[in-house]
Amino acid sequence: MRNLFAFIYRFRAFLVFVLLEAFCIYLIVQYNTYQGAAFFNSANRYVGRVLEFQSGVTDYFNLATVNSTLASENALLRQEVMKYRQTSMADSTRKMDTTLVVLPDTTIVDSLRTGPQSFTLHAGRVINNSVRRTNNYLTLSIGTKDGVEPGMGVIASNGVVGRVKTVSDNYSTVTSLLHSQMLISAKIKKNNTMGTVKWLGGDYRTAILDYIPLHVKLAKGDTVVTSGFNTVFPEGVMVGTISSVAKEADKSFYTIKVKLAVDFAQLSFVYVVENMQKAERDTLEHNAGILPNE
Amino acid sequence: MNSTFGIRHIVQFILFVALQILLFDNLVLFSTGFCFIYIAFLLFLPININRLVLLLLGFIVGFTVDVFYDTMGIHAAASVLLAFLRPHILNLLTPRDGYEASDAANLHIMGWNWFLTYAFILIVVHHAAVFFLEIISFEWYTLVKILLSTLFTGVVVVILQLLFFSAKRAKR
Repeated sequence: MRNLFAFIYRFRAFLVFVLLEAFCIYLIVQYNTYQGAAFFNSANRYVGRVLEFQSGVTDYFNLATVNSTLASENALLRQEVMKYRQTSMADSTRKMDTTLVVLPDTTIVDSLRTGPQSFTLHAGRVINNSVRRTNNYLTLSIGTKDGVEPGMGVIASNGVVGRVKTVSDNYSTVTSLLHSQMLISAKIKKNNTMGTVKWLGGDYRTAILDYIPLHVKLAKGDTVVTSGFNTVFPEGVMVGTISSVAKEADKSFYTIKVKLAVDFAQLSFVYVVENMQKAERDTLEHNAGILPNE
Repeated sequence: MNSTFGIRHIVQFILFVALQILLFDNLVLFSTGFCFIYIAFLLFLPININRLVLLLLGFIVGFTVDVFYDTMGIHAAASVLLAFLRPHILNLLTPRDGYEASDAANLHIMGWNWFLTYAFILIVVHHAAVFFLEIISFEWYTLVKILLSTLFTGVVVVILQLLFFSAKRAKR
């Protein structure tokens, strides 16, 4: 017994080393697998405060870009509002005499117009961001208090950004699209062909679109949008445009490069997408035995 | 020495981690050269520091950076590895007549040859650990990343030594 203790004491440094490394490996594996509560990451209250302070300083340097993005987004929204106003003015069925004309069932029409899903957006400021690592994350200054939950999608005004990983009261961590294990279900807008967008590292403006079969006709400049086949993103959110298409001899799919619509290095405001019918749809699909593929 | 150890190294810890998070997080050369300056804290610790303490300090500093970088465990694992190897490297590099009591891991005291060998070996090991843990597979690109990042971090470490660790102060 004494020999054992003597042995342990002699190799104490090595044993502590092995223990610490084992703990680190455990942390790495655990953090990469589970989505949800994690205390020690940038959504932590104190860490978030430091990052907020930092972005408070650095935000001044890209105020001009932020302003122009917000202005263009405003213009777009105004246009949309105008469109609706015009349709409502042109649509005079409601003013007709109900005894002569049967009104269309507005609930059905409305649900068709807005699509089968309804989404709420929560605006959040990006307080920490990276684009050059292998696995990039963002930290937002909104958390559970603002209705953010793990698993929600995150979009910017011009396209898809990522997915919420962990949330604390006031902050949340987002797995960026620029993450080696992030996959986004997408489709080519022109012909609705479904594929998967992923990022292979390197240039943060380019991702690839996988699983597009060879019979589909493609052209440079085609728009790639989200498919809406899962509950994370609404259908039709911009992902990017095709920048190059190549056929490789030994593959049955195209190799397509996509120029991402979002400039991740310039992100300052994003929207967290809350899907009101996520629970319902997920339970239904789960009960039907459909496994979520992404 | 004991009395000054605490404060000086705590200040260094905070300074280097703050530098890492606030400044060097944004400084990346050609999207390949990263600078993990926080390991300078481990490199500049006294030569005769207790191995267990060194391991724990390595874990703490790595873990702190991990929390800010959202890379749970990767930097901690690499720093613990560095902390484990440091005494061995120091043994390998022992001058002919052993270390003196006044010796420190300092460029001015130990000379360019000693310091560069010491720093670059440990930095290479640390960076290799970080980048391979990040992808858990082998790519040639990673080697380029390790090389460029090691150079970057190494140069910054040397600059720090020249600027803030003057020969006069080290002899005190």
